Amino acid sequence: MTLRAVIIMALGMVVAITATPLGHWLESTMVSHVLVELPLLVVAGIIFALPLKPVSQPLLNWVNRGGICGLITASFLLAFWMLPRWLDTSLGDPWVASAKYGSMVLTGMILALSWPSAHVITRAVVKIEFLTMFFRLGWLYLISPERLCNNYLLTDQIWLGRGFLLVGLALTITWAYPILFGNAVLEQQLTERKLSID
Amino acid sequence: MNDSTAIAPMPGSSKLAILAYLGISALVYVLMMVLGLLMRMGQANWLGLPADLFYQIMTAHGAGMVGISGLAGSAVMWYFLRRYVDLTVGILWANLAFFLSGVVLILGGIFLGGYAGGWTFLFPLPSHGMGLWGPVGAACFLGGLLLIGVGFLLLYLDVARAIISKYGSLARGLGWPQLFGNSDETPPPAAVVAATMVLLVNITGIVAGAVVLVLILVNLFMPEFEVDALLTKNLIYFFGHVFINATIYQAVIAVYEILPEYTKRPWKVNKVFLGAWTASTIMVMAVYPHHLLMDFVMPTWALVLGQIMSYTGGFPILVVTAFGALTIVHRSGIQWDMPSGLLFLSMFGWAVGVVPAVIDGTIAVNNVMHNTMWVPGHFHMYLIVGLVAMLFGFKYYITGQDGKPGMFDKLAFWIYSLGGVGLSVTFLISGYFSVPRRWAQHMPEWVGLSQPAALMGAAVALGAAIFAIRFLTSLKHARAV
Ligand code: HEM
Ligand SMILES: [Cu+2]
Repeated sequence: MTLRAVIIMALGMVVAITATPLGHWLESTMVSHVLVELPLLVVAGIIFALPLKPVSQPLLNWVNRGGICGLITASFLLAFWMLPRWLDTSLGDPWVASAKYGSMVLTGMILALSWPSAHVITRAVVKIEFLTMFFRLGWLYLISPERLCNNYLLTDQIWLGRGFLLVGLALTITWAYPILFGNAVLEQQLTERKLSID
Repeated sequence: MNDSTAIAPMPGSSKLAILAYLGISALVYVLMMVLGLLMRMGQANWLGLPADLFYQIMTAHGAGMVGISGLAGSAVMWYFLRRYVDLTVGILWANLAFFLSGVVLILGGIFLGGYAGGWTFLFPLPSHGMGLWGPVGAACFLGGLLLIGVGFLLLYLDVARAIISKYGSLARGLGWPQLFGNSDETPPPAAVVAATMVLLVNITGIVAGAVVLVLILVNLFMPEFEVDALLTKNLIYFFGHVFINATIYQAVIAVYEILPEYTKRPWKVNKVFLGAWTASTIMVMAVYPHHLLMDFVMPTWALVLGQIMSYTGGFPILVVTAFGALTIVHRSGIQWDMPSGLLFLSMFGWAVGVVPAVIDGTIAVNNVMHNTMWVPGHFHMYLIVGLVAMLFGFKYYITGQDGKPGMFDKLAFWIYSLGGVGLSVTFLISGYFSVPRRWAQHMPEWVGLSQPAALMGAAVALGAAIFAIRFLTSLKHARAV
């Protein structure tokens, strides 16, 4: 498949989510909203950034040394949409909804542009922080004392909490496995990248 | 296994960082011991220590000792591990920066914010200061721990990176191909095996700690999020047990590296050695329920696991290390000086300290001994006479103070070791008579035990102060290999 085809598919996906009933359907439960729709938008963003890389690298290198600024921005964007209040508002207010769609795609692009220049330790820290956040959010959603959204029920929150824990667990296994038992790609990356902060 | 002449000397910045870790730890140990002494003097009625101050001091002593042991242990690991893999100096400094910022927050939380809920921050203590501390004091303490955790996370990730890029995977770092397969490649050196185990358990522990700390922080400011007390307790003790145990598993690398230099015999990494480290990797993570033996709501299987793991978990590494140390030293014509003497003492302290720990890990015994002075008794034994002796042995070694010890050193050695054993034994005896731990004010009947204990504590602090001064005044002779 050519890059162009992949980008067109990603574009199609974004359109489907933002402008067809698919979006509504995904947003009808909290779990699919947070754990399916938002990640799909981020993935689309990552794909959109693929052709950008060679062009914008020199400028980005300057602002985004080691990918750190970008990764921090992306995590704040992600964290913002983990707040039930804004998730809820996005269902009723088209402006907030557009901001959500746009910022998730943007998050994907920022991630894609920052990740390659991130040092292996930065990447590891981001991954671990990501996992830890899944566990924390899962726990918080499970114990949240009351309905946090107008559009979702308490049980929706509990399902989301379980979803977070499950995804966190799955990611832990996926990421830990190659580190524990080794795989060629990873080894190569690790030997290629050496730190230069001292 | 290693011939130090073949190893490239450390660049200046690494050496400086290692000496900074060790120097800071020497000072902090003495300072925290003085705090310990103050507590014991308060319990002995020799010092009018108000209860609120006692608990602040207890919190600072606990958190300070555990944290500084982590820092000093990691310095020992780093110093020897760099002989085999390529570590990053910048990260070593970054960890120190995180550590010191964390310490500032913690001290602020305790002595300005009034937080006195113990280093174990058990839920719901942080949010129940009863007027002694508010959410801000507690949050500073918890935030400080979090910062320190981030620093160590960076350090262990760098160790992981270095080991993986040399050996391919962490399983190889633990020597699994040699242990489980029939690989006849030479296994990784002892230092690498130990470091791999430590990074595995500590990264896991830090993640658990980072989850529970943030949840408790959320609860501080939004009490409607009621975290489950039992789950937080599980996570806290998982993290706490792993972290404090890992300090000794890092410091012990000094034994694996220094004794061979002294005896000119290699430290053998055989299947038994590898098996012990692999077994302990699992067991050190599975044993923490021994802190929850009194929590009747815990599932029984977990408590039984805690007891079984307590019986088996502490031993493998201890046995291979102590046995290895004895065989390597036996008829080697080793010269006894401060480094080798302290390292050997540490084997003794470690081994002796584990015994009361195992006894208390028995459910039937724990019913009686839980939260008595028996508990500080066992851990002061293997921390003072084991871990800290090991660390000071390394400090003598790295500053080139080997060879015939001076009078002061010999004196300090005996004051420290006898004081350490004495202090721990008095704790144990108090525990045997069911004197509770963590009581600011002791009943008149208990004071008779607290008084000799305070004297012993003074001896330990004095011995450690001499060690520290000898280290700090010999820094210019510090070795770079
Ligand atoms: C001069 C040496 C020392 C003295 C006099 C001393 C004294 C004390 C005292 C009186 C307590 C409180 C006991 C109670 O529960 O009533 C205590 C607790 C503790 N000590 Fe020490 N100690 C010394 C050295 C050390 C060292 C070297 C370490 C670790 C490396 C250490 C780690 C701890 C810990 C973790 C606690 C538990 C705090 C808590 O219960 O929250 N101590 N110590
Ligand atoms: Cu324990």
